[in-house]
Amino acid sequence: MSAPDNPFASLMADYVGECLPLAEEVVERVIALERLWAAGAEWQETHAPLKGLLHTVKGNSAMMGLAPLQELAHVLEDLVGLLGGEAEGRRAGAALLVRGAGLLTDLIRGATAGPIPEIIPAEFAEEVRAFLQAEQGSREDSQVERRMQEQRQVDRRATRAVGEFGGDGTITTIRVDSHRLDALLEYLGEAMIAQASLRDAARPLLNRRRATDESAAIDQAILGLERTLKRLEGALMETRLLPVSTLFGRFTRQVRDLAHSEARQVRLEVAGGETRLDKTIIDRLGEPLVHLLTNAIVHGIETPEERAAVGKPVEAVISLRAVQRSDRVLLTVSDDGRGLDTDRILVRARALGLAPVSDSPSRAELLALAFLPGLSTAEKVSALSGRGVGLDVVAGSIRDLGGQVSVDSEPGRGTTFTLRLPLTVAVLRSLLVRVDGERYAVPLADVAETVRVGEQTLHQVARQGMMTWRDEIIPVLDGGEALAGARPASRPYCVVLRSSPRPRGLMVDAVLGHQEVVVKALDPTLGRPPAIAATTILGDGRVACILDTARLGEQLTRVA
Amino acid sequence: MMIGDNVLEFADRLVTAPAAPAAPEELQLHLVVFNLGREEYAVPIGQVREVVRVTDVTRVPHAPQHIRGVMNLRGRILPVLEVRSRLGLEPAELTQRSRVVVAEIDRRMVGLLVDAVGQVTRLGERSVAAPPEEVRSAGGEAVTGVARLDRRLLILLDLERLLRASGSETAGVPTI
Repeated sequence: MSAPDNPFASLMADYVGECLPLAEEVVERVIALERLWAAGAEWQETHAPLKGLLHTVKGNSAMMGLAPLQELAHVLEDLVGLLGGEAEGRRAGAALLVRGAGLLTDLIRGATAGPIPEIIPAEFAEEVRAFLQAEQGSREDSQVERRMQEQRQVDRRATRAVGEFGGDGTITTIRVDSHRLDALLEYLGEAMIAQASLRDAARPLLNRRRATDESAAIDQAILGLERTLKRLEGALMETRLLPVSTLFGRFTRQVRDLAHSEARQVRLEVAGGETRLDKTIIDRLGEPLVHLLTNAIVHGIETPEERAAVGKPVEAVISLRAVQRSDRVLLTVSDDGRGLDTDRILVRARALGLAPVSDSPSRAELLALAFLPGLSTAEKVSALSGRGVGLDVVAGSIRDLGGQVSVDSEPGRGTTFTLRLPLTVAVLRSLLVRVDGERYAVPLADVAETVRVGEQTLHQVARQGMMTWRDEIIPVLDGGEALAGARPASRPYCVVLRSSPRPRGLMVDAVLGHQEVVVKALDPTLGRPPAIAATTILGDGRVACILDTARLGEQLTRVA
Repeated sequence: MMIGDNVLEFADRLVTAPAAPAAPEELQLHLVVFNLGREEYAVPIGQVREVVRVTDVTRVPHAPQHIRGVMNLRGRILPVLEVRSRLGLEPAELTQRSRVVVAEIDRRMVGLLVDAVGQVTRLGERSVAAPPEEVRSAGGEAVTGVARLDRRLLILLDLERLLRASGSETAGVPTI
């Protein structure tokens, strides 16, 4: 958890951090322009910021000595200028612009990985120059003048690297390496654990003496420390939040390109880009979202002919939305395609021995089956979605982030995936339980209810424990058996879990109460044990495991 | 107990052999010595970060074989390897002398649970002999050599191999 040793690597990371969002915005705008020009609609507003964006990318690239990128941004800037004035070459020019902006984005994204390839951008720049020349003869003179002016601006930019100045000359914004924020978060976690240890250690002392002045003072100090740490946590979390638009930005082009190659007509609608999430979550959300979008295009959306035949608009719409609901963020990916085929899912599930619990499964149960391994309903393997990645992998990566994913689908009308994500990954609200002397933290978001269970409410059906809960018969799992391979024992409490398609019960010896725990990733030496998501350190300094309740549920699904 | 018996037998043979005079240019091994039962084992000091008392070790369900659990090392979560069971020895009760040797293996921090920790010692490279075949097979290749130190016998362990073999197998998942 340290900053890169190489100062150049750190500068390069800053460069990518600043330029990638700009390049992604360029991509989005030029794709929109292409559409607007084709439709003959108002385009000036979309076009206006492009030169500035490209100019900044060019300046930063020059500062980093990335000549190929500087050159690429430069020719694109010229191209944008030309197309803003001329109406004739726009069609061909727009396609060139889309390609160039995509190339620029890819090269910037790869800049930290190794040297920038020179031939590809150089050849592209040549192509653009040829286009420019064909469109508007030679403009050499004005070019030279502009270049000199730009160099002066680059020189000016070089003087400010770390901060931005407010109106009165004080620094108002500071750029900080994200590794430093990670380290701060780790120290905060340790401070919170230390505070909890202090509180637990002082408790017998405070209980024993009847409120003397000293014990009241200790009590006050501990409470004060707790409040301050809470505020510190809130403030630190705040600094780590980024708008999801930083993530959504790159999808516009990917959707456009994939739709082209799959011969689909698709428009991507994005909403709620200003919704904010922890940086770690944003970093790890890209891949699952790409899978969902790819699935939507390749499997969800019909060909234009099929759509016309059933009276749907030829252009399909995929919408990507984000919205915050209390301490969760909901992300939805919807398409208006053919919907999931629940009959096929059921057939496949039966073939794989993953049949649902009941004989006449509800639609929700059938849809939930889609997340089980091996149930991808792809009819053909395409270049992009045929990577062997199914919905089970998507669900797994969302669970790793402490989130849940669900799906709703209507035949002929489309499919909607909903991702529920925590705002932060560092602190987890949990229910602490005890099984065979060990304590475990159960994520509170997964807990439907905790009930005291009498012998008469528990039943054994073919070695499977069952229980009546809210007029429903649900399977129950013995905590000792699931977590320690121990023999099932009589345990008085049942934690009803809602992390799997159907509620399940987990029998435990004791429920110790709610606690906010600091999440510590599972050490790689421990492998990837099923049923354990992470670890934490409790107030008494002991380590406890955080349960991956969905995977506990999977065990039940498979045998039921 | 295989390792112990074989090593003792081998030790008898070694001790009766005359010790080679140490050459001045001979490479010196710097080792941390710990005990498992009557045997003394040694690991390179360069890989040992510290030695700590055993605090509470939390069991991790379905962890790889020979991983006893995890412990809190000043806010850091440290996996603890049961060296006894890893080497095919009987498990032993924790005592006042039990220690965790905190080692860095393949850039990971791992705790090694041992019965007791002895001294740090230097050893000429030439006094290390290849382990007898039986010892090697029982230790899963983790035993790289044996060496005579005065009248004692040290069993040299390779930590990468010790960890590798233990991480590759996972305990079975119970089915209901």
